[in-house]
Amino acid sequence: MNALKAIIVREIQEHKWGFVYLPWIVATFMSLVVVLVYLGLTEVNTENFKFSTEIYSNPDVAQAMKDSTLEQRSEVIRTGLQVLGTPLVIALGFAILAFSLSTFFDERKDKSIIFWRSLPVSDTFTVLSKLLVATIIAPLLAVPPLLVLHLISVSVGSIFFVVADIVPFFWAWEAYPFSDWIRVILSLWMQSLWSLPIITWIMLTGAYSRKPVIGAILPPVVISLSEQVAFSSSTFFDSVMQRVQPWSRSESFPIEYEGLRVSEIADIPLLFSLNEFWIGIVVSLIFIALTIYFRSRSDYSSVE
Amino acid sequence: MSNRKQVIRARNIQKKYSGQSALSGFDLEVYQGQIMGLIGPNGAGKSTFLQAVLGLVETTGELEVLGLSPKRDRHELLKRASSITDVAVMPRWMTVGQVLKYVEGVHPRFDMNKARKILSNTNIQKDSRVRTLSRGMVVQLHLSLVMAIDAELLVLDEPTLGLDLAYRKEFYSQLIEDYFDGNKTIIISTHQVEEIEGVLSDVVFLNKGKAIMKESIDSLNTRYLELRPKAEFLEKAKSLKPIYTRTELSRPVYLYEDTEIQKLEIFGEVHPPAIADLFLAIMNKTNQSEEGS
Repeated sequence: MNALKAIIVREIQEHKWGFVYLPWIVATFMSLVVVLVYLGLTEVNTENFKFSTEIYSNPDVAQAMKDSTLEQRSEVIRTGLQVLGTPLVIALGFAILAFSLSTFFDERKDKSIIFWRSLPVSDTFTVLSKLLVATIIAPLLAVPPLLVLHLISVSVGSIFFVVADIVPFFWAWEAYPFSDWIRVILSLWMQSLWSLPIITWIMLTGAYSRKPVIGAILPPVVISLSEQVAFSSSTFFDSVMQRVQPWSRSESFPIEYEGLRVSEIADIPLLFSLNEFWIGIVVSLIFIALTIYFRSRSDYSSVE
Repeated sequence: MSNRKQVIRARNIQKKYSGQSALSGFDLEVYQGQIMGLIGPNGAGKSTFLQAVLGLVETTGELEVLGLSPKRDRHELLKRASSITDVAVMPRWMTVGQVLKYVEGVHPRFDMNKARKILSNTNIQKDSRVRTLSRGMVVQLHLSLVMAIDAELLVLDEPTLGLDLAYRKEFYSQLIEDYFDGNKTIIISTHQVEEIEGVLSDVVFLNKGKAIMKESIDSLNTRYLELRPKAEFLEKAKSLKPIYTRTELSRPVYLYEDTEIQKLEIFGEVHPPAIADLFLAIMNKTNQSEEGS
């Protein structure tokens, strides 16, 4: 347990820019965006959500807010917070990919692998610990800035609603879904499990390739093009792309859950019921085994 | 030596890199309490053997370290064996404090208080990043870590490479005075033979992946003697068939094998040879016998 804790702490220390600073920077930036929207200096427009000062000038919108039920308010707040949190989740995704690519490559490049491997930590334990960091710990570290962004957004909104005399201060707070905090964590973990084949593939290329970026991109591109030329199909490419995007947007996501919501994408039994999920796990296990194999064969000659 | 615990047992160890033999039938036994020096030219197989001892490379033949197979039981072995294999391997982004914490977390035999005490006698600060330390300080840090681990075997592969003289001297004096207690075993490979010969209990000379000589220092000092003959005894000294001749200040110095000291003393000044000179002599002798056969 001490060894696991030591490895996790070490990884966070080494990748603090991606795992700690970046989520807080994005959360701070998005908090500023919220303030700027309420000041009328900008607006947020997405497919599912429109966020602007229209409420100040449009009496219909203000009336609709006053008349809304608690459930309707929760739905609007949840969707709004999800839109605001999307850049942070994307930043987290890039941080995890950067970590996965560099974690086994950098130690070979700077020869620190010789030091790490001189200590009594097995290659299997090291690989699994790093995987734990990428899939469980990194998402967990993104949760505090995400929740602070939630709280700032709701607080700022409440203040502006009162100042503009639209609804009372607690209008938004009464409907804020505090139970979503657990769902936020679960949804991030489930997304990393869904994207596990991508994470483990990139880790594998870092463990064996001398040029890991090319090693990570070239084989999927070659396979996709070969399939396109030979069979005029894009099954492999589509499968890869499905793992890059949120699992709730993949083709395997059940049609009855079409409306994209935090509550559904945190549904563990739903994810575990998908055949595609288990196919991804099997593929990931193969990549993990190969990563352990290549790391255990890393000696002086592999880094010179 | 037979009643002491065997620490390393290597029989017919072979290793090839891209068809080139790095080790070809290498045999060695190392016992508890020995400080064994591996002496040989570049490419002799010293580093390859030490990597094999630590389970870093796969070899053929029989290799047992502390009763364990280095490849199969590497994890268990590394709890009992420490190493300094290169000066450039410490993670440069870490602070000294972070390195200490990490080693404390993963090594069950690491004593944090001891490491802090050793470091307090150096100029290394806890908050310094490894990348800001000089080469000498990095080695000092590594040595402090290793000295704070209660290991049975210490493997040192060119530990002082690239260091200036002051650091090299300090490294070995610290190692012997503060670390070695007679129950531990140390195996060292280095090019700077003259700096370690005072600390070694045994040596093995390697050439082309094979052990060409294995002896204790005590035995070497009895079996091999150097003679600086007086000018008038040059021919008589030569007739005793030295195995190697070198020149010092324009005067020949002869090296003899298994020749009684009394026979030599009458011709001039006699003393045990330096290991570097003995190594050259043994290499020369081996090459001659290979050419002869």
